[in-house]
Amino acid sequence: MNWKKFVSLGLSLTLAGSLLAGCGGQTAGESGESGDTSSAKQVVIYSNADEEAITAMTNALNAGGYEGQYVFETFGTSELGGKLLAEGTDLEADMVTMSTFYLQSAQDQNQMFVDLTFDVNTLEEVPSYTAPITSQEGAIIVNTQLLEENNLPMPTCLKDLADPVYAGFLAVTDVQSSSTAWLLMQALVSAYGEEEAQSILHDIYVNAGDHIESSGSAPLKLCQAGEIAVGFGLRHQAVAAKAEGMPIDYVDPTEGNFSLTESVAVIDKGDATNPLAMEMAQCIIDNGRAELQENYPNPLYEGESSDAANKSAYPKVFEEPLTFELYKHHQDISEAAKP
Amino acid sequence: MRQKNRELKLIFTVLVLVFAAFLAVPVLRLLVKSFWGEQGATGEFYTAVFTGRNFGQTLMNSFAVSAAAAVAAVLVAFVLAYAVHYTRLPGWVKTALRGAATLPMFIPTITYGFAIIYSFGKQGLITQLLGFQLFNIYGFWGLLVGYVIYTVPVAFLLICNTMEYVDKKTLVVSKVMGDGALSTFWIAVLRPLLGTLAGAFVQAFFLCFTDFGIPASVGGKFDVIATVLYNQMLGGIPDFNRGAVVAVIMLLPSVGSILLLRFLERYNIRYDRVSSAELKRNPLRDGAWGLSGAVLGLMLLSIFVVIFLVPMVQNWPYQRTFTPEHFASVFADKDLRKVYLHSLAMALLTAFFGTLAAYGGALITARSTLPRACKQTMDSVALVTNTIPGMVLGLAFLFCFRGTSLQNTFVLMILCNIVHYFSTPYLMMKNALSKMNAGWETTALLMGDSWPKTIFRVVTPNAAASLIETFSYYFINSMVTISALIFIVGSKTMILTAKIKQLQYINQYNEVFVLSLLILATNLLAKAIFTWLANNREKKATKQTEEKGN
Repeated sequence: MNWKKFVSLGLSLTLAGSLLAGCGGQTAGESGESGDTSSAKQVVIYSNADEEAITAMTNALNAGGYEGQYVFETFGTSELGGKLLAEGTDLEADMVTMSTFYLQSAQDQNQMFVDLTFDVNTLEEVPSYTAPITSQEGAIIVNTQLLEENNLPMPTCLKDLADPVYAGFLAVTDVQSSSTAWLLMQALVSAYGEEEAQSILHDIYVNAGDHIESSGSAPLKLCQAGEIAVGFGLRHQAVAAKAEGMPIDYVDPTEGNFSLTESVAVIDKGDATNPLAMEMAQCIIDNGRAELQENYPNPLYEGESSDAANKSAYPKVFEEPLTFELYKHHQDISEAAKP
Repeated sequence: MRQKNRELKLIFTVLVLVFAAFLAVPVLRLLVKSFWGEQGATGEFYTAVFTGRNFGQTLMNSFAVSAAAAVAAVLVAFVLAYAVHYTRLPGWVKTALRGAATLPMFIPTITYGFAIIYSFGKQGLITQLLGFQLFNIYGFWGLLVGYVIYTVPVAFLLICNTMEYVDKKTLVVSKVMGDGALSTFWIAVLRPLLGTLAGAFVQAFFLCFTDFGIPASVGGKFDVIATVLYNQMLGGIPDFNRGAVVAVIMLLPSVGSILLLRFLERYNIRYDRVSSAELKRNPLRDGAWGLSGAVLGLMLLSIFVVIFLVPMVQNWPYQRTFTPEHFASVFADKDLRKVYLHSLAMALLTAFFGTLAAYGGALITARSTLPRACKQTMDSVALVTNTIPGMVLGLAFLFCFRGTSLQNTFVLMILCNIVHYFSTPYLMMKNALSKMNAGWETTALLMGDSWPKTIFRVVTPNAAASLIETFSYYFINSMVTISALIFIVGSKTMILTAKIKQLQYINQYNEVFVLSLLILATNLLAKAIFTWLANNREKKATKQTEEKGN
């Protein structure tokens, strides 16, 4: 009758498991209720933001008295993008923070966000359902130790990366899979025009060889691992790595530090829309921008100073609006440039 | 006989319903997207994909590297399994070999690519120990190494499982009959294993073919089809229609493998009773197999050293001072306990219900007189689950269950895991059951026992070891999986691997490795418990048999 023991063991394990799961669920519910009796449901916020930005937003929300009434879940840009497009208003989240042009395409496809009910006094005009939280800049990343060991010159501009001396030492991101690479594309197209940009990009791709990466953070990762000496990535991530004492430095390319914004948006759940979500969105913008600007220094709102710490040397904005169509067009240029 | 068929038909119906709802419907709905655009049916997505850059070459690359990796993985797994089952090596050596062969499956695949870079890269641990870089880790060789590590455990488990049921006395008989060493090896070892070896190859092939994580970190210029799928589904501009086309193309090879496995099924051999014949003492044989096994095992393990090393120092490779702070900061996180319990509960429930599903499915194909069509349905289900990339399954679930009460629930996550990992447990159970004497049910029926009684009293106790193995396979995979779950996990159902993925995006590799180690520790503990259970059972079973014999 040993099978009985086996089955009963399995059953008891399962029972124990489901109890645990039940408890987990309950505690989550309880903590939501204990925070504020009037709001039985926590506001769920999905975000693709980096740790520094999440911390700044959390601080702003807690200072605004919302502690315990919200829960942040972070995703990679691609996973969150996939979820937004596929789930639309059925998304679990009440609110998202995400790359602005992704939000636009999700809105075009699914009509899933409500217009913000508070004033958004941005320097540039933005869609009525978004309020930018950060402006993320691109920069050249270097591993100083490897540059020195291999007698490589310090690059000053993106065109330098096309120099054959960097062959085998360079990593860039593929604009096909990551929007970080779009910052590189914008800089090249803006400085040299589409035709020359394509030929420079070709040489850059030749130098990068195995390292045309699909993830935006891969070049920095490879610099940190000592695999490559030069890369292109998000500036604030390189700033953080340098501050941790790694042999990492960053160079603002003379073609310009182009940027993409990430914005907050509230999901339209009809009658079930949690009113707290809109309040929290406002709270993040009103109370969070000061701390956000420490890591993402570009001014976005009227009255914001542009000389924050960590400011990049050549902040620039692409002459055309950053639409999905432009992105696709730049992807085509990149595909044509591939060796 | 009618009695017997009723219960089996019930099992079959339940399984078919589950797989229809949680495999066929979601996947078909996704596939419809491959030819259904905004203006109705269209072939434009297929044209777009086929005329894409280097698509043919990419497809060839995928086949070449997956096949090479699968062959290598099966060879490695075979050597390790042979050393465990066909030698008189001391028990601890066998335990160590078993451990080395299965260790990779205890760790989430997210960490593999990174482990390879930190081991074999320019500043890698192994590179520094040797003083030179062994091979270029980007491209074919990097992929091959990653895939082999990834698939050896599965191949090893499948081969071991069959070896346990192969009668070792055939060796003696073959020797007595005067066969040469090679033909003995063929008759008593390889031939009974052919079906399993092919099965293991197919499993390994599809794991490689559909994995995205390893090419993402070490693929280099060597494009594979999984990367194309990822770029289409979740790239800069997600295009679910074209993504669906790529998914369809990835499913096609499974048709070929169904035929291959069906052909090889005839090589499966039934034994009336499995006897554990004493192997002859042969130090040369033991030494040779033990040594090859040890070398292969060490190679597998060497890659994982960095996972222990990296989180213990400030910043590998540049600041190598010891620090406990990475561990401390992870364990100070108060949400972690909840997330950990979520993972544990999900894994246990998946294991329990998954084992039931695999057992039920295997009873139908291996021990029933149901029509051939039913058996083929089960086999096809298993193959399809095997060939569907986790990412595709996750997205299919996302489309299908949005807005339903199942969205973001543990129930959905558990069902997703059961479907996603059904193939190997099913094959393991099927192997085990088909190796048992085919006459048991008939005999028992003639003696007046009902079918359920026979199953519970005779078949289940004899399959206990495999059942526990299946339970453990489901448990461990549920602990480490992420590709599908990332799309259906919710804020109230957060699990450890999703947490790891979050940390990975913000480049917190130290924390990623700490959490991987936590999962490893959990899985090792679970494995220890399962092994103890299995041994306990075996001892009792032998005791009972002895008593009956007396």
